Amino acid sequence: MSQPLLQVKGLRHTYMRGTPLEHTALHGVDMYANKGECVAIIGHTGSGKSTLIQHFNGLQLPESGQVVIDGVDLSQPKLNVKELRKKVGLVFQNPEDQLFEKLVGDDVAYGPFKQGLPLEQVVEQVKWAMELVGLSFEEMKDRATYALSGGQKRKVALAGVLALRPKILVLDEPTAGLDPKSRKELLERIRYLNRQEQLTVIFVSHNMEEVAYLADRVYVMAGGCVVCSGTPREIFGNRSVLEEHQAGAPETVEILYRLYDRGFDVKPDAFLVEEAAQEILSVLPGIRR
Amino acid sequence: MEKGLTVRKIVIAGVLGAIAILLGVTRLGSIPVPTAAGNATIMHIPTVIGGIMGGWGVGLVIGLIFGVSSFLNATIPLFKDPLVAILPRLFIGITAYLTYVGLKNVNQYLAIGAAGFIGSITNTVLVLFMAVVRGYFAPGVAVTVAIANGIPEAIVSVIITLAVVAAWMKLGSAGKKKSRISG
Amino acid sequence: MAGEFELTRNITIGQYLPTGSVIHRLDPRYKLAAYVIIVIAIAMCSSYLGNLVALAFCLWLFWQSRIPIHYGISGIKPAVPFIIILGVLQLLFYGGIATGGTVYFEYAFVKITSASIKLVIVSAVRFVEIIFISSVLTLSTSTTQLTHGMERLLSPLEKVKFPVHTFAVVITIAVRFVPTFAMEMEKMMKAQASRGAEFGTGEWWRIVKRTKDMFPIIIPLFNVAMTRAEDLILAMEARCYTPGAARSAYNHYRAAARDYAALAVGILAALILLIVPDPL
Repeated sequence: MSQPLLQVKGLRHTYMRGTPLEHTALHGVDMYANKGECVAIIGHTGSGKSTLIQHFNGLQLPESGQVVIDGVDLSQPKLNVKELRKKVGLVFQNPEDQLFEKLVGDDVAYGPFKQGLPLEQVVEQVKWAMELVGLSFEEMKDRATYALSGGQKRKVALAGVLALRPKILVLDEPTAGLDPKSRKELLERIRYLNRQEQLTVIFVSHNMEEVAYLADRVYVMAGGCVVCSGTPREIFGNRSVLEEHQAGAPETVEILYRLYDRGFDVKPDAFLVEEAAQEILSVLPGIRR
Repeated sequence: MEKGLTVRKIVIAGVLGAIAILLGVTRLGSIPVPTAAGNATIMHIPTVIGGIMGGWGVGLVIGLIFGVSSFLNATIPLFKDPLVAILPRLFIGITAYLTYVGLKNVNQYLAIGAAGFIGSITNTVLVLFMAVVRGYFAPGVAVTVAIANGIPEAIVSVIITLAVVAAWMKLGSAGKKKSRISG
Repeated sequence: MAGEFELTRNITIGQYLPTGSVIHRLDPRYKLAAYVIIVIAIAMCSSYLGNLVALAFCLWLFWQSRIPIHYGISGIKPAVPFIIILGVLQLLFYGGIATGGTVYFEYAFVKITSASIKLVIVSAVRFVEIIFISSVLTLSTSTTQLTHGMERLLSPLEKVKFPVHTFAVVITIAVRFVPTFAMEMEKMMKAQASRGAEFGTGEWWRIVKRTKDMFPIIIPLFNVAMTRAEDLILAMEARCYTPGAARSAYNHYRAAARDYAALAVGILAALILLIVPDPL
């Protein structure tokens, strides 16, 4: 793994440049993602997360600094944006809003058709994508989109991006607004894509349980900069960073910190549920005595 | 229209008015197809849809919002004249509504499509008529523009009105029950 | 390219620019009334002298409102090509219709007369005036004030059963939702571009195809609007909003001497424009 699949160096971005409403959203961001990794970006609203991920498929182009994706430098003047967007699939917040075809199959097939692929291949990619997100191709392809539930619509939208067969999947708050069952299902699907299909996943989230469940590495953003990065264990174990940026932590970590504050000898960075349970069990006899 | 404006009609007029304003201030308001102006406007379509969905009152109000917004945002002298920018727009929703009501018992799709067509033609004809009356265009120029601009715009209007209203009324797809990829 | 999707950011209808001038402090009812009267007068005024007076009046308004003149000029700039094209068209084709005046040039169907030249100049100047005066109005009055002012101005129409208040509610809703829909639209354009959408490509003569190219944005935009509408209907009904019911107002406007003066100035200016002699 010599060169990361995605590399960002010193990226800056200013909105409305040259107007009184000028506003710098990114102040020199550095980050990378290796092939097959799952990277989480956390931080407050307005910290620049959305602006950053829009650079990954050329919706925004680097103003200064560098973005290199799979060997393609986004700063080069003759950038082929279409090629780039084949490599990077971007799923926006509430992606179910973007469905516009009457039938599920047509909507998922929109991207592949736009790429000019022959029908057989479109069918194959659509089928693959729909099955991956847990929608039966035969059963769902001729259903009307408006008759689906919210969770199903989101799966259709996700399939619509996956059908492009991207190398990197970028998700902006993938589970926001879903009911608990759909949320759990979707997270399992994303994890499967990442672990089994070796898809590189980058996602933005406010939900620390999600971050703990999915991420290999975490970037914490604040005020247009990356203020901290590391494995979930490193991030959740670093209480000063969490508090300074009000990033929050999974409930497991919160409980362990509270125990720690009361003088119990627990390791607060044990964020996985089983680990946390072990930590709590280890101090339980002390309470009994 | 039964007993004045209901909450539903007020809100529908409001959101469609918002879209009319939005289409007016962004480039999304026009589709680049061959016309005299180089593109076809779709800014009047929310008014047409309002007329179909909410009756003539809703159509009239959205038409007024569309007219005032196009007057305030105008970058061509023609539409900085309130008599050209506002007055003709009041009738778009009304003619669309009348067309829809007149034909809806024949066939829903036909009625919606025809309303889209007539609403668009109302816009073209009345705006150009006022333009001639106010001395911006000679009648010959106006007739040329009416044909070169009005026909493509009416076609665009039919397509979009049908798609949006059919989706809203959940009419389902006419005759098309299988997706393109179903072979 | 980088700004491809930024068009919808920060949309403002009217860009309120608070300078605290006399014009800003005017009662919106009177300001709006004066504005309407003057715009109608400008639209009807077709003499050289009248338009000169109107132009001077507009500049005086800018000075009074302490709004930099470049705000008005920036509204004219994009229109210059249109003014020129329209002017040429009027010049070439209107000579045959606008009767009277001296004929300066005649060849085939082209006929340039003093009347057609006047038409060209007056419609261009009239345009500039309306841009200027509208800029002063929208830069010196917030959208809320405008809506209130309009509601009060139209209130006599309640007598003939015209639902003025309801109408004001519709406008408030429309104005409220423009930024929301603008953001939705921006998101939609980006999301569809991510899926490989391209807008306005394909052969130029294929109207149907080019229209359908817009579906990925247009259809979701209307759908989002409908969803929002349903939510709002529910919220309004839950709070027992009754269309047409008698309502009290939070804001009360009381006209002062300067408001009457403003209206008087407006009427006076309009009268001058209409009765000014036309020596040509």
